[in-house]
Amino acid sequence: MRKIAVFYSGSSHHSRTYKTSEFGQYIDVCIPARHFAEASLDDMDVLIIPSQSHLGLLEQNVDKIYAFANSGKTVVTFGPQHRDWLPEQNWEFRPTNFWWWLETGADSGLRLPGETHDLFTNYLTLDDATWHQHGVYWPTDGCETLVSTVDGGSVLYIDKVNTSGTWINTTLDPDYHYGSYFMPATERFLRGFLPWLKEGVL
Amino acid sequence: MTAEYIVIHPRNIFSDEEANERFDIIDMYDLERTDLTPYTCMIVLNFVDQDYLLEQKAVIDAFLAAGKIVAFFGNLVTPWLEGQSMFIPKEIRWHGDYNISIASDHPIFDGVLEDDMTTNKGVKGFFARGHHEAPAHAEVLLTLPDGETVTYIDRTSTNGTIFMHAGGNLFRIGLGMKNQPTKTTDVIPARMEAWVDEEWARLKGAKINA
Repeated sequence: MRKIAVFYSGSSHHSRTYKTSEFGQYIDVCIPARHFAEASLDDMDVLIIPSQSHLGLLEQNVDKIYAFANSGKTVVTFGPQHRDWLPEQNWEFRPTNFWWWLETGADSGLRLPGETHDLFTNYLTLDDATWHQHGVYWPTDGCETLVSTVDGGSVLYIDKVNTSGTWINTTLDPDYHYGSYFMPATERFLRGFLPWLKEGVL
Repeated sequence: MTAEYIVIHPRNIFSDEEANERFDIIDMYDLERTDLTPYTCMIVLNFVDQDYLLEQKAVIDAFLAAGKIVAFFGNLVTPWLEGQSMFIPKEIRWHGDYNISIASDHPIFDGVLEDDMTTNKGVKGFFARGHHEAPAHAEVLLTLPDGETVTYIDRTSTNGTIFMHAGGNLFRIGLGMKNQPTKTTDVIPARMEAWVDEEWARLKGAKINA
């Protein structure tokens, strides 16, 4: 079982998602973002950078997050990022259509190139990863895109090539939406994603 | 006598960094280093670090003890705001459970349609998805269908006034995602400022007469 730490900004959203709900059981430690610089990550295997983190503290700790990954460990990032700080990040902003599901015969526009990956054979369905996106990534060669848009933009990908560790980056922000009691799909996503992080094949 | 605002800002990607000149914005983590003397109304935004605010409770208590105003928008999950209860999510059985009602006439919501608060592009639930139980004697402004107190004014828990709203910032950003035609809710930000001015005048008068 991997040990999971969260870069924790203390909002009501982070509190519900990572501490007080059913998902708290998967989190070994919530490290207050304002104390992150001094915190030890030695015993941890996975570090989650939640959506809606404090941007100043995130900036101050980018080197430490990279050092963690480069020690062979795993970093998970949720939601749109404020700037290109992920390894070889290539982000394309797209205006969010919050309302696509109101349209007749709506297609979420998502596809599942990672259908044979452990995350989607044993833990999640594409429906569980379907709400809106804020944009797409265009990862470098060697990265593995599990969820994409119809035109091949990456919504969730795994990067084992650009550092000495593993990065799981997604434009999805299930922690924010679940933490605000919003959008049932985000609850299903976390019910699959967090157990997979804990014990699945990354 | 107009109020001077300080905004306690969480510096996350979804929170607007811009405001008109009446609002001074500080990073929430600078609260302990900020001279609050010039300010009369503290706006605390959704997404703030409520563990940090709990550590700084004495600062907020002192602000209220000085007869000033604190307005909080969001879900309370730690007891940093004197006399207030923790957020209780609404159990949703059907979408009508999100319907907002005006509980008592108040200038802030005068002429605002309940349906404009409840519904955004035909979808409900953006405005509030739960409530904080109002203290006794609070002036309740908005409720959910079972009388849950979404929005209220508490003038008794402290020497100042606490405005509680279990939803987004009512001062400037508008309601939910602002990508739609004009609604009756558009008047709310200006009404909030007018209310704060009146409330501040009342609090100041109370101090002078005390």
